[in-house]
Amino acid sequence: MEVTFKVHRYDPATNGKGQLQSYMLGIDEDASILDALMRIREDQDTTLAFRGSCRTGFCGDCTMRIGGKNRIACSTTVGKSVKDGEVTVEPIRIINVLKDMVFDAEAMVYQKYRAVEPWIEPSTPLPQEEHLVSNEVIQDLRKVMSCTMCWLCDEGCTTMVVDRKFVGPAALTKAYRVVADPRDSKTEERLHSLSEEKGMWDCCHCYEATEHCPKGIDPTERIFALRNQAIKVGAGSTKVRNHYRSFGASVKAHGWLDEARLAIDTEGLTNIRGQLKQLPLALKALRRGKLPKPYFLHKKRPGAANIKRIFKLWEKK
Amino acid sequence: MTYAFYPGCVSKGGCPELYPAAVKVAERLNIQLAEMKDVGCSGAGVLSQEVSDPINARTLAKVEQMGMTMMTICSTCQGVFTQANHRLKSDPDYRERINRENLAQEGLRYEGTVEIKHFLWILDEEFGLDKLKELVVRPLSGLKVAPFYGCYLRRPPELMVPKGFERRKSVLEMTIEALGGEVANIKGKGKCCGFPILASSEENSLAMCSDHTMEAKEKGADCMVTPCPLCHLELDGLQSSAEKHMNEEIDMPILHLPQLVGLALGFTPKEMNMHRHMVSTEEVVKKLEGVRA
Repeated sequence: MEVTFKVHRYDPATNGKGQLQSYMLGIDEDASILDALMRIREDQDTTLAFRGSCRTGFCGDCTMRIGGKNRIACSTTVGKSVKDGEVTVEPIRIINVLKDMVFDAEAMVYQKYRAVEPWIEPSTPLPQEEHLVSNEVIQDLRKVMSCTMCWLCDEGCTTMVVDRKFVGPAALTKAYRVVADPRDSKTEERLHSLSEEKGMWDCCHCYEATEHCPKGIDPTERIFALRNQAIKVGAGSTKVRNHYRSFGASVKAHGWLDEARLAIDTEGLTNIRGQLKQLPLALKALRRGKLPKPYFLHKKRPGAANIKRIFKLWEKK
Repeated sequence: MTYAFYPGCVSKGGCPELYPAAVKVAERLNIQLAEMKDVGCSGAGVLSQEVSDPINARTLAKVEQMGMTMMTICSTCQGVFTQANHRLKSDPDYRERINRENLAQEGLRYEGTVEIKHFLWILDEEFGLDKLKELVVRPLSGLKVAPFYGCYLRRPPELMVPKGFERRKSVLEMTIEALGGEVANIKGKGKCCGFPILASSEENSLAMCSDHTMEAKEKGADCMVTPCPLCHLELDGLQSSAEKHMNEEIDMPILHLPQLVGLALGFTPKEMNMHRHMVSTEEVVKKLEGVRA
C-alpha cells in the first residue's frame, strides 16, 4: 500500500520547534512502523533519527507516538495505523527530545530506575545452599520481570503531566520487583525511601499505567501493593498515614466514610496551622449546606457491626 | 426496572446535593430504586483489598438476594466494585474463602452473579438515550458542557469498557447531546481529577484541578459535568484553592450528571440543588432561564 508518513523532525542545532516532514512509501500493510522508518532512513533520508533494536517487541527501545497514540513501533503494523493514507509518527511527550524521535532517556528514565536501586540486596552471610523462592512468588515476579523498560506507563501517567520529578510507574514497578522478592533484605528501608516526596504516594492510581503497559504487568496494582506494605511498616508522610488510619477507623466504626473527620484527621488534630488552612473552605461548605457531620455526629450504617467484624478479622491476620 | 441502589458515601456526605437529585431524576424516568442501607463503604481504592473485598462481597451478596442489577452514582464506587466483582467472579476459591470467613456468620453467601452499572451506563444501555431525548422538556440548547468521566469509569479498560461496550468511551458526550447541549471536548476528560493525591501531594492535585477546569474554559465550556462525586469534590470544592495556587481565575461550574439530566427534564435549578455548590452555578442557571421548561 502507498502511505504518506508524516514524521516529526527536530534538530536542536537547526530547528527550534520541530515539524512534520512527509515521506511517501510503498509498503506492506503487515510491515511494522519501525520497518517503515528503517526503509525511509535507508532509501530516502539518512538523517532521520530514532531508536530501535530487537524488532520483536522485546527491548522496549522504539517507543513513540503513532497516529497520536503511544505505541511500540516494532509491534504496531502500518495497516492498523494508517488513516486516510497517512500515518503520523512523533516522539513521546513527557520527555526532552534530543533529535527527531530520540528522547533523553538518561534524565527521565535511567536516573529514576537507579533511584529505586532495582537490585536485590541479600542478607549476609549468604545461605550455604540455594535460596529457594516459592512458585507462587516467582510466577508473580516473572510477570514483573517481563518489563522491557519501554516507558509507555510513564508516558501515560497523569501525575507525570504535572510533575516530571515524580518517580513514575516504570521505576515503581521495578521497585516492586525487589520489594516483593523474599531474597531481598532491605524491604522496610526501601518502603520508607519509596515513600519520600515524589515517590509512590504521588501516584493518583488512575490506571493509565495499566492501560498503557504492552506486557500486561499492571503497574497500578504494583503500586497499590507497595502502598499496602508501606502502611504496614509505618512508611509514608504523617498526612498520608493519618489519612489511611482515619479512613479505616471511620469505616470500621460507622460502616461508611466520615468525610469531615477524614479531612480533620488527615491534617492532624493538633496541627493548628493545617486546621486553620481548611477553615475557610469548611465555612463556605457550611454556608452551602454541604458540610458533613464528623465524629459522633456521623451516623452509623445499619450493618456497621458486621463491617466492624470483617475489619477485626482482617486486623487479626 | 428496579435497581439495587448503592448511593456511596459522598452523595450523602461531601456532595449532599447529588443524592436527592439522582433520586428525583430516577423517579421521573420511572427507574425504580431499592436503596441499600445496610452496606459498607467500597473502600474507594484507599482501603486495602484484603478488607474491602470482603466488605464489598457482603454488599454483592445482598444484591444477589434482591435479584437485581446494582446501580451506582459514583465512578469510584463503580470502579472499585467492578474490580472486586471481577476477582470474586473469576476466582471461585477466593470467593469461597471470603464466603466462609467473612459472610457465613451473617448467613450470607455470594455466588458471583451480580452485575453493577453506573447510572450513566444505565441511561444509555438500559433506558436508552433516544427515549431520554424524547422526555427532554428544557433542551440545554446554547449550553456548552465539558464531560469529565472520572478515571475509574474508564480504566482498567478490559473491565470498564469491555468488548461490545465501546459506547462507554463517549457515552457522556452522547448524553449531553441527547439533552440538547453542546459538547466541549476536552483532552483531560478521562484523566484523573487529582482528588486521590490531595493528602500526599496537594500541589500536584491542585495543578490537575486547574489543568482540567482551565481546559474546559479555554474550549468555551459553560460548565463541566461529571458522573463522579469525588471528581466533583476536587473540581468544584477545590477550584478556589487551585485558583489561588496557580494564580488564575477559573470560575467553572461543575454539575453532577443527574443535575444536568434533571434540568433538561424540567426540574427547577433549586430542585436540582444547584445552589449547593462551591463554584456558583448562576451563569448556567441564567442561560437555561432563557429556555422555557
